Amino acid sequence: MEIKDLKALIKIITETDVTEFEMENSEERIIIKRGPEKELVQVTAPISQAVPTAPPPPQGTVAISAPPVTESTEADDQYETINSPIVGTFYRRPSPEADAFADVGSIVDQGQTVCLVEAMKLFNEIEAEFKCKIIEILKEDAAPVEFGEPLFKVERL
Amino acid sequence: MTTLSARDTILKLFRKTKGCFLSSAQISSELGVSRNAVWKQIENLRELGYQIKAVPSQGYQLVSSPDTLLPEEIQIDLETKCIGREIRYFPETDSTNLQATKLGESGAMEGLVVIADQQSQGKGRLGRKWISPPNVNLYASILLRPRILPSEAPQLTFLSAVGICRAIEQLAGLNPKVKWPNDITLHEKKVAGLLNEMNSETDQVNFVVLGMGVNLNMSVGQFPKELAYPATSLAIELGHPVSRIAFTRALLHHIDLLYSDYLLDGISTVRKAWTERCDWVGRRVEVNCHTQIITGVVQGLGNDGALLVATECGIIEEVLAGDVQLV
Repeated sequence: MEIKDLKALIKIITETDVTEFEMENSEERIIIKRGPEKELVQVTAPISQAVPTAPPPPQGTVAISAPPVTESTEADDQYETINSPIVGTFYRRPSPEADAFADVGSIVDQGQTVCLVEAMKLFNEIEAEFKCKIIEILKEDAAPVEFGEPLFKVERL
Repeated sequence: MTTLSARDTILKLFRKTKGCFLSSAQISSELGVSRNAVWKQIENLRELGYQIKAVPSQGYQLVSSPDTLLPEEIQIDLETKCIGREIRYFPETDSTNLQATKLGESGAMEGLVVIADQQSQGKGRLGRKWISPPNVNLYASILLRPRILPSEAPQLTFLSAVGICRAIEQLAGLNPKVKWPNDITLHEKKVAGLLNEMNSETDQVNFVVLGMGVNLNMSVGQFPKELAYPATSLAIELGHPVSRIAFTRALLHHIDLLYSDYLLDGISTVRKAWTERCDWVGRRVEVNCHTQIITGVVQGLGNDGALLVATECGIIEEVLAGDVQLV
């Protein structure tokens, strides 16, 4: 997002009663939190991209940060991933109206289904191979996935 | 002696006598049970729809058999190596896929077939229902344990599609067509649907369940109006009902042949047989992939079974999952 757009976004948010705003696309993730005293803007972008530095907004404080490279690598070491055994389409829920098999923060038992991957009407129920906590869901619902591609970042319990 | 094997023995005796009377004494000595127990077994068969005449001093005579998908009926003259050596029949169950998965998890043998007369939760794609009324159709799931990689398992979808086509061709003399990935149609109306499920580790398949629903004797009035696709049955197309038992036997036979060929030579025979029955090659389709809609001309099947669609921008899209319709 360009600086001017970010400024405009902050302006829009501050003119409302919204206290927390989050936006995510393929390139970046923007979180704006407002309290009575301060405002915190957090932009997380891929490391390769320049981290935008926004000028201070008219009021309050703004912090912009991207996770430092070293920290995220270390953090990732604690986690394991659940990978797709086949090429196909990733589904987080058994049917479009149903609840997701697992959400961020869910604790899943060994053998519990966490998602489906479909290829040519073969539905593969992906199960957790050990008891774990879902840290991050790495794919959008209904996204195509490759063989061996990580679907979930999990913490072994 | 269990009810099942007693039933099997009595039916075999009736078949041997070829419509003649079978004395109560004969049956009781074969089964090693009292005459009263024989009478109970006969009542049991009558409840299943067998018409059995009882004449004092002569015995019992089998007048007619119902078209019920009992294992002992299907297995008569069933010459398969692997598929259907064991058949589990449920008058009613939630879904044959669920039952086959449960049995697979508890170590059931490859080739096990689960059949239900009626399903309360017949499964379609993405939680859709497969309409499964009693007495008319075939709902079956086959358990396989192929030594292949999980990434190769989707190919098996085409195997069951070809098996169903061959059974329809043999039994009804009709020309079914396949719609990618694996619906089977007669005159552009859906006659059978497949839904397969896999249980696997990262690098090995534990088992695959080939689920199939074939509309055999369903009448027009039995189809709900809000179906996503126009549907039909063999009986509607032929104008008369077909034997469910004969159809099931033919289907298991063809799947058995295709599967042993697949294990020996890979997917090529199946892919060729499938492509011959696909009349969408060269036609314009719309593929709804949930997140996007691709429009283009069908080019054929990729090596892994993906549908190849040439789009207007000149790109060949490899579709692995989605709903395809002619436009």
